[in-house]
Amino acid sequence: MPQVTPPPSGWPLLRRLLREQRRGLIAGVVVGLLWSAAKVTVPRLTRQAVDRGVIGRESLWFWTGLIAVAAVVSGVFSGWRRLIAFRESRLSETRLREQLFAHYMRLHVGYHDHSQTGQLMSRASSDLQQIQAFIVMIPITASNLAMVAAVIVVLFTSQPFLALIALAPLPMVNLLSHRFSHSIHPAVLAVQVEQAELATVVEESVSGVRVIKGFGAEQVQADKLRVEADDIRRVSLQSARIRSSFLPALDLLPNLGMIAVLGIGGHRVLDGRMSYGQMLEFMQYIALLVFPLRNLGMTVAFGQRAAAALLRVNEVLSTAPLVDDPKRPKMLPDPPVLSADDDDPRRPVGGVRFQDVHFGYDPEAPVLRGFDLTIPPGASVALVGSTGSGKSTVARLLTRFYDVQDGAIRLDGIDVRDLELGALRRAVGIVFEDTFLFNDSVRGNIAFARPDADAADVERAARLAGADDFVMALPNGYDTVIGERGFSLSGGQRQRIAIARAILSDPRVLVLDDATSAVDPSKEHEIRGAMATVMQGRTTIVIAHRAGTIALADTVVLVDDGRVAAHATHEELLASNERYREVLAALTAEEAEEVEEAELARRTERSEHAERIAGGD
Amino acid sequence: MWGGGAVSDEDRLDRAETGRVLRRSLEFAEPHRRHLLAALGFVTISTMCTIAGPLLVKFATDRGFGGGSVRALNGAVIAYCAVVVLNYVVGRQQFMAINIAGEGFLRDLRVKVFDRLQIQSMAFFDRNKAGVLVARMTADIESMGELIQFGLLQFVSAALLLVFTIIVLAVISWELTLVVLAVLPVLVLASIKFQRQSNHAYLDVREKVGQNLSTLQEGIVGVRVIQAYHRGAEQNRRFVTSNRSLYAAHLHTVRISVWYFGLVEFVGVFAVALMVGVGGWLAHSGSITVGTVAAFVLLLANLFEPVQQLSQLYNTVQAAAASLHKLYGLIDTEPDVGEHPRPVVLPASGALVAHGLTFRYDGSQRPALVDVSIAVAPGERLALVGPTGAGKSTMAKLLSRLYDPNEGYVTFGDVDLRLASMASLRERVVVVPQEGFLFGGTILDNIRIARPSATDDEVAGSLESIGVLDRFSEFPDGLLTEVRERGSRLSAGERQLISLARAALVDPAVLVLDEATSNLDPGTEAVVERALEHLMTGRTVIVVAHRLSTVRRADRIAVVDHARVVELGTHYELVAQGGRYAALAAAWIKSQPTAN
Repeated sequence: MPQVTPPPSGWPLLRRLLREQRRGLIAGVVVGLLWSAAKVTVPRLTRQAVDRGVIGRESLWFWTGLIAVAAVVSGVFSGWRRLIAFRESRLSETRLREQLFAHYMRLHVGYHDHSQTGQLMSRASSDLQQIQAFIVMIPITASNLAMVAAVIVVLFTSQPFLALIALAPLPMVNLLSHRFSHSIHPAVLAVQVEQAELATVVEESVSGVRVIKGFGAEQVQADKLRVEADDIRRVSLQSARIRSSFLPALDLLPNLGMIAVLGIGGHRVLDGRMSYGQMLEFMQYIALLVFPLRNLGMTVAFGQRAAAALLRVNEVLSTAPLVDDPKRPKMLPDPPVLSADDDDPRRPVGGVRFQDVHFGYDPEAPVLRGFDLTIPPGASVALVGSTGSGKSTVARLLTRFYDVQDGAIRLDGIDVRDLELGALRRAVGIVFEDTFLFNDSVRGNIAFARPDADAADVERAARLAGADDFVMALPNGYDTVIGERGFSLSGGQRQRIAIARAILSDPRVLVLDDATSAVDPSKEHEIRGAMATVMQGRTTIVIAHRAGTIALADTVVLVDDGRVAAHATHEELLASNERYREVLAALTAEEAEEVEEAELARRTERSEHAERIAGGD
Repeated sequence: MWGGGAVSDEDRLDRAETGRVLRRSLEFAEPHRRHLLAALGFVTISTMCTIAGPLLVKFATDRGFGGGSVRALNGAVIAYCAVVVLNYVVGRQQFMAINIAGEGFLRDLRVKVFDRLQIQSMAFFDRNKAGVLVARMTADIESMGELIQFGLLQFVSAALLLVFTIIVLAVISWELTLVVLAVLPVLVLASIKFQRQSNHAYLDVREKVGQNLSTLQEGIVGVRVIQAYHRGAEQNRRFVTSNRSLYAAHLHTVRISVWYFGLVEFVGVFAVALMVGVGGWLAHSGSITVGTVAAFVLLLANLFEPVQQLSQLYNTVQAAAASLHKLYGLIDTEPDVGEHPRPVVLPASGALVAHGLTFRYDGSQRPALVDVSIAVAPGERLALVGPTGAGKSTMAKLLSRLYDPNEGYVTFGDVDLRLASMASLRERVVVVPQEGFLFGGTILDNIRIARPSATDDEVAGSLESIGVLDRFSEFPDGLLTEVRERGSRLSAGERQLISLARAALVDPAVLVLDEATSNLDPGTEAVVERALEHLMTGRTVIVVAHRLSTVRRADRIAVVDHARVVELGTHYELVAQGGRYAALAAAWIKSQPTAN
């Protein structure tokens, strides 16, 4: 796959993100600084209150009042800081996810063919979460840093030596929590890996239950599960061991500072070199520093994880789509309008011409090698060939899922690469071998290509595709939600929805990639009838994986070894071409079995519904 | 920080259910009692250590500074050192103790639930969605793992700390304690309110995350259709809508937490003001010491943090209780096809006979089989034919005791299958599923699943006996090829061959085959056919036939329709009878261009 080399780091992407939200982030930092200021005053005010108000006999209520004011200020600003930090970080995450999705939609099919869905999903979910977790730390870390700095200054200016001793253990908090984040991360991943392995055993035991019950193999799976359950316990305890060696130490360190203050400070209080309030002030400051210091350690670890995530996200975003709109697109010629009283007001359009097309998914292993074929407007051809002959590739090139490596494909005389993608794809309708349905109503699925189509048009298309009957039998008719999360349809029903979708889009060229393969054989003839109607006067390319479909087309193209080996009617080829007879025999052998089944089903007829409800067969 | 838990209203347990779950869990944790008790002891010591610090400061203040005693001060410092070290040591111990107990508990739970799952009948697996069963064993138990790692200890220590601190405060100054108790309810009420709000908000976020992920997935999986119809822009709009509604849900959780955490912050500092103000005033009047004021200021943190922690853990604990409730429910499910308490071993051979079988699937109005009786002689091949849904697969399932009939019974060698030991039943009667399902592991492992005690040679022998050993030995890693690794994916035909080899390894008296409807390429098809022929030789065979070629090879044919056997006989008898089968056979011969 030729791909643009991604820039080595994700930081430019992060910089761009942060720049877009600089106002929000700056506001967050400012609010955070105000919070820090309020928090830092509290121990000093407490000291004054104790020394002057409690021990001395000055105004107790004045200092107490000031502490109460600091309480209000820090309460308000801490909430506000939280609001801004999370709002901004969620906003970046949300925007970035939208950019990623839009990019996925634009990326060439070749990219998707080489990527795993799970990978692309985790770019847009867990990776973005890690970036979000880092951005949220920005205002929080900024104010924490300011607080730490302010406290250090305050302590050193009042009692430099004591400050030095008391604060000495605290950098260790930062260091330890950073090291902790580092060492716990692989342990957490190890637990996830083991959990996934256990999930695999459970999944295969549930989906392979027929095999297990059939052979009485319960114990085999039970033994496997014990191994996995023991593994999970082992790695979980390893991660617990890491936690147990860090977390109590994190609690220990600030206490060492406290002891230093009590010991050294206490003697100074006794000597009269320091006030009692000052000692309390020190203790409160040490307590105040614990959380910010832990946080700083975490921020560094989060930052490293976010950097890795950014790199992965950036790699996707900086991959340019290989198939894109041309700079100066040409227009498809309009279908010439004939006289108004003509029966068919439109002369057929949709002439397709493949000129010496060369292509290979891997350029080293070409699939098409000089594919030449002209399909006049309105004609229909069936592409026939053995597996790997390249017949399915032809359709993928016509819609520019991939671009030809040499030669050209012309639609109504214009190179498909000179057309806007939208124009090209509106002109070519494909019914895929594996039908994809969206989580939407039947109507929405059929009107996918033309969301503005009115109900009558949708229903007409469904009727033509032979889908109307079963759709009307669905709980909510055309408004029934289908797809992953909706009502599940049989393979044949899905296929008919896909055909209706193609019919409604009214393309110049219709491509049927073995569109009837998933259809119940007893229903196949109905669909073939529907297809014949739709193909009338429309350029159609049928990619035939089975003999029955060939009959739909005017002529047959035998594709062999990446070239057109022969092009004639079915009867002519049957009479004259040995290779065609071979390929056809292979297709027929597969199909014969199905014909029998269809007969079996038709003769004894009825009640296919019953057992599906019963849950058997 | 972990995400915290949330529990939906329908999952929330009432008091009685919670009590039952708790009692059950204690019973279940019995083997780990020592570690649990140790953890509890350590937590108690650690909590006391936490409280001891401020008390030592009070002691130093009152005796040391107030009394001018250097010894008192030094004593307090040394004691503080001891407490801190003790707390550190105990902290490590309690952590490991709770984890050893907790992980042991989870391990037992996984094994127990899975074992229970394994002995359930086919009907159970038909009734319950695969995804739900997998989720019980994974997500439900994993969420409890988080609770054990982070939550359980915190929950106990927070509760202890709260109680101990209040007791200590009350002992050293009841007046100041009253002031504290005036402020605490504000925090408690706010925490309860926040806990409720955040539970709902979290559930909402979880739902929106799910929706957004499926919109995302739909876009990625459907990208070919989307591009083919140039609907990228429309799809983007859809995604933005769901993405922004997720953003709104996130913002809602933030807004809820903003007032709460702001309030917590305010209360924390405001309480200091109260302690200093009221405490100072009391100290002036001489009813408390300055050290007491200091101790109160330092102990306040021990009160407010636990309240927050408890409220946040509350949802997690509730969610875990709901999960446990479901898991215990699964453990309590009695299998409906179980082994007889005093099972007998089936004889080595014999006729398989159905006596008046009637069967109805759960939740179905119509019976799937009505009063079916049939006897299959040793070594006989019986083909079951008929339309989809007529009951032929059901018949095969009853004959192999994947299900028990509602009425009637099945015997093998005159022994009722319900009296037979499961082990001997699966040795005599083997069901070969139509799809060749593969488990993780090597080809050897996959075949051996049928008879775990088989040696490598015996497994190879099973492939040899159906004439396909060479095909698999030729793989780069031979029979040690990992079947799920990329690049070594087996074809549909090869998967079916492995399925047949499993049956050959068991070497059963009776084979029950559900013939595959999917097609293989002609070359593989022939190999599978030959292997099947090898396997069937010398055995009683009951085949759910989808192909007339299979039917022709059977000794007798049973036509099943509308839950009954409507015709039974040899091919020639049934053709002569001129009934349903005759029509079928005629149609078949007509559609066969090269029939001879």
